[in-house]
Amino acid sequence: MNAQARVLTVLDSSFFSKYKKLIVAALLIIFLFVLGEIIVSDFLSVGQILLTIKLSSFIALFGLCQMIVIAAGGSGLDLSVGYTATVTAVLTAKLMDGKNENIWIAILVALVLGLIIGVLNGFFISYIKLPPLVVTLAMSQMIQGAINVYTAGKNITGKPSPILQIIAAKTTGFVPNIIFLLILLTIIVMLILHKTRIGVLLFGAGANPTAAHLSGVDVKRVRFLSYVVSAILASLIGLLLLGNMGIAFKDMGSNYVMPSIAAAVVGGVSLTGGDGNYLGVVLGAIFLQTLTNLLVALGWGDAGKWTGFGIVLFLLLIVYVSNRRKR
Amino acid sequence: MKTEKRTLRDFTSKPEFSSLLILLMMFALTAILQKNFFEIKSIMRNVNAFAPLILVTMGQAVVIISGGIDLSSGTALSLLTCVLTSIMRKNDPMTGLYGIIIAFVVALLIGLINGFGIGYLRIPPVISTFATSFIWLGIALFLRPTPGGESVSWFGVFYNFDTLKDASGFFGTLSGFLPPSLLLIIIGCILWYVLSKTKTGRYIYAVGGNSESAYESGINTAKTQIVACMINSIFIFLAALFFVGQTGSGDARMGDPLTLRSIAAAVVGGIALSGGRGNVYFALVGALILSFVNKIIFFANIPYAYQTLVGGAIVIVAIAGSQAYISYSTKTKEIKIG
Amino acid sequence: MNILEAKNVKKNFGGVVALSGASLTCREGRITGLLGANGSGKSTLSKIIAGVYAPDAGEITYLGKKIHYKNPHEAKQQGIGMVYQNLSLVPELTVWQNIVLGDEKNTGYFLDDESARERSADIVHKLLPNIDIEKKVFELTPGEMQVVEITKAVSRKPKLLILDEPTAALEKAQVTSLFKLMKELASSGVAIIFTSHRLWEVVEICHDLTIFRNGQNVGSMDFDKDEKDVKKIIFYITGSQSETGIAKTCIEACGETRLSIENLSLGTMLRNISFDLKQGEILGVGGLAGQGQQELMLALAGNFAKIACDAKIDGKPIKLTRPSNAIRNGIVLVPGDRETEGLFSKHSVFSNLILPKIGIEKKSFIVPYRKLKKECEQIANILALKAASLDVPVSTLSGGNQQKVVIGKWLGLETKVLLLSDPAKGIDIGAKADLYSYIVNQVRSTGMSVILYASDTKELIEYCDRLLIMYEGSIVATLDTEEITEENIIRASMRVEEK
Repeated sequence: MNAQARVLTVLDSSFFSKYKKLIVAALLIIFLFVLGEIIVSDFLSVGQILLTIKLSSFIALFGLCQMIVIAAGGSGLDLSVGYTATVTAVLTAKLMDGKNENIWIAILVALVLGLIIGVLNGFFISYIKLPPLVVTLAMSQMIQGAINVYTAGKNITGKPSPILQIIAAKTTGFVPNIIFLLILLTIIVMLILHKTRIGVLLFGAGANPTAAHLSGVDVKRVRFLSYVVSAILASLIGLLLLGNMGIAFKDMGSNYVMPSIAAAVVGGVSLTGGDGNYLGVVLGAIFLQTLTNLLVALGWGDAGKWTGFGIVLFLLLIVYVSNRRKR
Repeated sequence: MKTEKRTLRDFTSKPEFSSLLILLMMFALTAILQKNFFEIKSIMRNVNAFAPLILVTMGQAVVIISGGIDLSSGTALSLLTCVLTSIMRKNDPMTGLYGIIIAFVVALLIGLINGFGIGYLRIPPVISTFATSFIWLGIALFLRPTPGGESVSWFGVFYNFDTLKDASGFFGTLSGFLPPSLLLIIIGCILWYVLSKTKTGRYIYAVGGNSESAYESGINTAKTQIVACMINSIFIFLAALFFVGQTGSGDARMGDPLTLRSIAAAVVGGIALSGGRGNVYFALVGALILSFVNKIIFFANIPYAYQTLVGGAIVIVAIAGSQAYISYSTKTKEIKIG
Repeated sequence: MNILEAKNVKKNFGGVVALSGASLTCREGRITGLLGANGSGKSTLSKIIAGVYAPDAGEITYLGKKIHYKNPHEAKQQGIGMVYQNLSLVPELTVWQNIVLGDEKNTGYFLDDESARERSADIVHKLLPNIDIEKKVFELTPGEMQVVEITKAVSRKPKLLILDEPTAALEKAQVTSLFKLMKELASSGVAIIFTSHRLWEVVEICHDLTIFRNGQNVGSMDFDKDEKDVKKIIFYITGSQSETGIAKTCIEACGETRLSIENLSLGTMLRNISFDLKQGEILGVGGLAGQGQQELMLALAGNFAKIACDAKIDGKPIKLTRPSNAIRNGIVLVPGDRETEGLFSKHSVFSNLILPKIGIEKKSFIVPYRKLKKECEQIANILALKAASLDVPVSTLSGGNQQKVVIGKWLGLETKVLLLSDPAKGIDIGAKADLYSYIVNQVRSTGMSVILYASDTKELIEYCDRLLIMYEGSIVATLDTEEITEENIIRASMRVEEK
C-alpha cells in the first residue's frame, strides 16, 4: 500500500471518523488562540485560557440542554432555556436570602419550575406535535411575561446562597471553580449517555424513530422527557447564574440561548438527531467564546462580534449540515 | 361520483374561514372597547400601528408557503432602517432617493443570501436564518451602534401625508384620511398578486407542498425558494420605509419582536408551517387579529405586567388551534399507491 | 417504425442482477405489454428507458438515435413519458394545477389558467368523467390520484408512454376508460409500454407482448399474428423447469397453534385477515408486490396503534397496538426496508444489536457492556457476520451482513414468532443461503414459528410449509405444502381465474 492509500485508510478508520468532529472542534480552538496571539499579545496565556473557559461554561451548560433535545430528534430545539434559568434565579433569590441553609428549598423550587416548564414544552411538542421552535419560543415569552408580572413595580431582591457563589464565581488557586463543575458534569454526562440505557434510547429515538419504534422504544415518551430534562437542567443552571452574578435580573439568561445552540452545532451534534458528544459541545462553547474574545480584542465591538458570529455559524452550517445531495 | 360544486360548506371548513370569524369578533370587541374607534383619526392611527406587522407577516407567509421560515425578519428590518438613516443626510433631499435605492438593493441581497442557504445549500431554514439574523444584526450595529441617524425631511411621507401638505394641495386632502402605510400595504398586495399569477408564484406552492414532486416535474426548486425569500425582504423593505418615515431614525434592535409575531400571525392566518398551503392575504388577516388582540389587552386594562404573559399564551393557543384545524381537515401528505 | 429499441440491456444493483440482457422493441402506434414475475426485470427496464437509471451495458435507441439519459427530465423533454408507482403530485395543489405542473403556458407574463384548465379537463374527463378539477389532490382517492398522474404524463404529448402498473389502484370502470384512452393515443401514433399484474388486462389491451424472467426476456408475442394463449404465457413466465427438484427444507409443522389472528383490519390497507400459525411452522405470505404483505408484517409487529384485530399468542389474547407489546410476547419483526426501518445507519453494529434488549428490559439502568459484548460476539458467530469489528458503523457493512444485524438484534430475546418481511431482498446468494439456513435451524431446534414474506417466489417455494396469497389487502388463497408450486402461486397472485 502506498503512502497515500495508507493515509486514506487511517482517515477512514473508525477511530478517526468517530472523533472527527471533536478533533475539528479542538483544532479550531487552537487555531483561534494562535491567531489571537499573533494579533493581540497575551491572548495565549494561562490566565486568558482559564478565563475563556470560565466564560464559556454557561454556554456549555445550556448547550447540554440543547444537545439532549436535539439528539432526541424531530428537529428538536429548546429556546426557552434562557428564561427558564432567569425565572428560577428571580424566584429563588429572595428565598435564599444570602443564606446557605435555604439552598435546599431553592433547589426544590428550581426543580418544580423546571418540571412544569418542561412538561408543558414536551407535551405540546411531542404529543400535540407542534413545532419545537414555535413552542419553546412562545414558552419563553410566557415565562418572560410571568417574570414581568412577578416583578411588577418592585425591585428584584435577594442574594444567592454563598455556596452557589463559591461554585459559580470564585476560584481555587487560579482555577475558577466552575471549571471543576464543568469537568465533573462532562464526565457524568458522557458516562450516562454512552454507558446507560438512557443514552441508547435517546440516540436511538433520534437516529431513526421508525426503527426505534419497531424495536419497542416509546419515541414520544423519550422526546417528551428530553424537554423535561432540558428545562430542569436550565432551571438549575439559573441557580448557578444567580451565584455568578450575585443578583437576579430580568435578562439574565436570554443571551445564552443562541450561543448554546451554536455550541451544539459546532460541537458536532447532528441537528436531525441521533448523535452527540457532550465533550464536543463543551469544545464548541469554548470555541465560540474564544471567537468572541478574539473579535472583541480586535476592537470590532458588538457589531463585529455578532457579524462574525453569524458568518462563522453560517459557514459551519454549510460544512456540517447542508444537504447538497446529488439528485 | 357526482360533480361537486364549490360550495359554501367547502369554504367554511378551511382555516381561512375561521380566521375571518375571529377577525370579526376581535374587530367588534375593539370597537366596543375603544371609544373613538370609528373616528377617522383613530382609524388612521390604528392602520399605522398595524402596518409593520402586516407587512412583515405577509413576507413571512410567502417564505413559509415556499417551505421555509425566516427567523431573521426582525433583524433584517432593523438593518434596513439603519441603512436608510446612514445614507440619508438631513440637508440633502436627494439622499432620500439614494437611500431608498440602496436599501432596496440591500433587501434583495438579504433575500438572496437567505434563499441561497435554504434553497441551494439546503440548510434547514430555522438554523440558517438563525445564523443570518446575527449577520444582519452585526451590520446594523456597525452602521448604527446607537439608534439615530439622519433622515430627509420628505421621508415622513411614508408615515403621514401631512409632511407634504404644504407642497401640494392634493396631498393635503389625502392626509386627512389616507394613511400612507395603507398604500404600502396595497403595494405589497399588488406585488404578491402579480407574483401569484406567474409560474414562479405557482411553483412557490409546489415546492412548499412537496419539493420532491416539484423537482420531478422539472421545477427549479432552489430558484423558487430564493425568489420567495427575496419577495419577503421586499415586504420587510416596505416596513422599513414606514418605520424611518415615522421615527426618522434607525435602530439595530427595533425589529426583534416582530420575528415571532409575524410567524404567529401567519399561522393564525391559516398558513401551515409545513408549507405549500395558505393565502397571503389571510396572513394579513392573521396580523390584524393579533394586532386587535393587543389593542383589546390594552383597553381591557390588563396590567402592563401581564401583557407579555397573555401575549405569549395567546400565541400558543392560536398556533395550536390553527395546526389542529389543519391536521383535522386534511389527509396525510404522503402519496403512495400500493 | 420502431420508436424504441432496447438491445441486451444489463443492470446490476450492488451485486444483485436485475437485468442480464433484456431486449425490447416498441413500434409506433402499438401497445407493448411487459409481463413477468416480481423481480423479473420489467420495472427496471422501464425505468432505464425513462432515464431513472443508467444501464450498465446494452444499447437503447429512441427515434433512431442512441440515448443515454442522465436523469428523467432529459427523457421527458425528448418525449418519453412515464407513470409509475411513486407519484409526483403536490397534495395541496388542485387537479388541474398538478396536471400542468412544470409545463404551464403563459399569456404574456402571466399564467394562462384558463387554457390549462381546458387542457386538463379534456384529458382527465376521458378517464374520470365526473372529477372536479378544482379539488385539491389530497382530497382524492388513490385511484383518482393515479388517474391525475396518468393525465399529467399524457398531457405532455409523449411519443413513448410508459405505464408501469397503472391499473394497480384503479377500479374496473376507470380501467375501461384508461384502455379507451390508450387506444386513442395508439391510433394517433404514440407507442405505449404497459405493465400490469392482471394478466387478462394485458391480454386485452396489448398489441405485442414481451415476457420477462430472471432479468431477460424469454418470449414475445405479436397479437396480430399469434393467438392469445394464456397457458403459453404462464409457461413463459414460470419457465419450463419444474420446481420440485429443489429439496424442501421445511419440516412437518407441530400441532399447537402458536398465533391466531382473526379479523385483522386496518383501513383499506388490510381487510379482514384471519389465519393461524402453528408452532414450528414457516408460513409464507405471497402474492404480487404491494398487495399489503409488508403492511401485514408491520401490523403483526404492533406498529399500528389504530389496528382492529383479535390476536392470541399461545392462547393468550394480546393487543397488537404497540411494538413493545408484540416484542414482550415474543413477536419480532425483521422489517422490509432495513435502511429506514431496521437500522441506525450511523451507529455501530454493537449499538444496533443491543437496542431492543435495552428498549424493553426496564431493569438494567447501566448497560452491562461486557456481558452484552460477549453476547453480541456470540451472535455474530452464529450468524457468520462479517464485519471489521462490532464498533464499526453498520452502514459500512454489505447488505447481507446488515440484514444479519437486523435479525441478530432479536437473538437472545425469546422469540416465538419471527416476522420476516422480504429478508433476502438485495442480498447476494451466499448471504441469502446463510440467512435461511440459520432461520430454518432455529425453527427446527426451538420450535419458533416464522411468517415469511418474500418477493422472490423461489424463497417461498423452498422454505414454506404453507403459503397465504394476498391480493389488495386480503388473503385470497391458501396453499398447502404440496400445492406450493410456481404455477399455482402465479395463478393465485394474478387471479387468473377471474376475468
